Amino acid sequence: MEQTLQASHLVKRYGKKEVLHDVSLTIEPGVIYGLIGRNGAGKTTLLSILTAQNTHDAGTVTYGGQPVWENEKALADLCFSRELSGQILFGQNTYKVKDYLLAASMYYPRWDKAYADQLVQRFGLDVKKKICKLSKGMMSMVTIVLALASRAPITILDEPVAGLDVVAREDFYKILLDDYTETGRTFVISTHIIEEAANVFEKVIILNNGQIAAVENTEDFVASFSFVSGREEDVDAVTAGHEVLHTERMGRQKGVAVRAARAVMERAAAGRDVDISPVSLQKAFVYLTGEEAHHETA
Amino acid sequence: MTGNFNDATSIYLQIAAMLEDDILRGVLLEQERVPSTNELARAYSINPATAAKGINLLVEEGILYKKRGIGMFVAQGAHDKIIAKRKDAFYETYVTSLVREARALGLTKEELKAMIERAQQ
Repeated sequence: MEQTLQASHLVKRYGKKEVLHDVSLTIEPGVIYGLIGRNGAGKTTLLSILTAQNTHDAGTVTYGGQPVWENEKALADLCFSRELSGQILFGQNTYKVKDYLLAASMYYPRWDKAYADQLVQRFGLDVKKKICKLSKGMMSMVTIVLALASRAPITILDEPVAGLDVVAREDFYKILLDDYTETGRTFVISTHIIEEAANVFEKVIILNNGQIAAVENTEDFVASFSFVSGREEDVDAVTAGHEVLHTERMGRQKGVAVRAARAVMERAAAGRDVDISPVSLQKAFVYLTGEEAHHETA
Repeated sequence: MTGNFNDATSIYLQIAAMLEDDILRGVLLEQERVPSTNELARAYSINPATAAKGINLLVEEGILYKKRGIGMFVAQGAHDKIIAKRKDAFYETYVTSLVREARALGLTKEELKAMIERAQQ
């Protein structure tokens, strides 16, 4: 039975460097979450702690109210499909794809071999190949097969589309939605390729510098931003009192991104000649986590 | 239903608009079943919750109705309802902005009328 996965006040340090600062997050059942954050934001660290594959220095992670650490019952429900690498601790990753999947089949109690075989075929993967001989895209395909075939009620994928070409990426989202509409299980998917995934994520988690910057319904989140442009005086008047996240200037023209819904800006415009346009998820992400945001919080 | 999404409006509104287009064009007939949220989600690679939001919008407006356990259907009179709704929207989005732009350009009422007549020919 699917239950809530909850992190409370997580702190993680690597040596003296604190990489997660007081992170609290609730993963509700039956939702596809997108996890986005810049390089080094702490995404993989957070995901590995959520699934008890990494230790943490403070805080708790619970599944259905029970701690996940060394909790066999909870771990049977959680799948974290890590990014694969050609290099492992002691040299090259010489496991064959089929060995990797065989190991997964023993680890995950709900493993669906028929589904794994079907996906391997769909991706055209050669299971006899060693992992260190795979291209980046093929490694991603292996992590996708593992994640989906695990049939885990909470399935977490770390950068599943890294290195995949656009056709394979579209195929991945189709396969994901096919599975989701059938099973309704929970997915958490981290990605750097934001725009094309935006419509797939019901909720988006934004991790910035080891802190949660937002956990919101994707559409509501995107709709909470507007871009207002026009003559400087007009733009300033319309956006007065709202937090400006980003400014662009060209001659007398000024454009600013604000954290305010389009309707709010339209009311504020009241006859002033400004253009009000929506902002994409990718832009909203950049405004929240880009250089300017760093300076402001610094 | 065809086409791609644009960035200007929410996806659920675009889903609703696409279903309306299909009803207007006779692709979907009154009393006929419409694609389910899961079918829409798969066809357009969108989250089923988004597709459901679009469908629910049309249910609220009386354009679609739910048959328990079977699915969503096009309501009787949906075609006329959509036409009426779009006429209102046409006034709001096109006519008022047309008049505003005409004013900004300093066009007189007569010049604007002449232009509309020319376009109609």
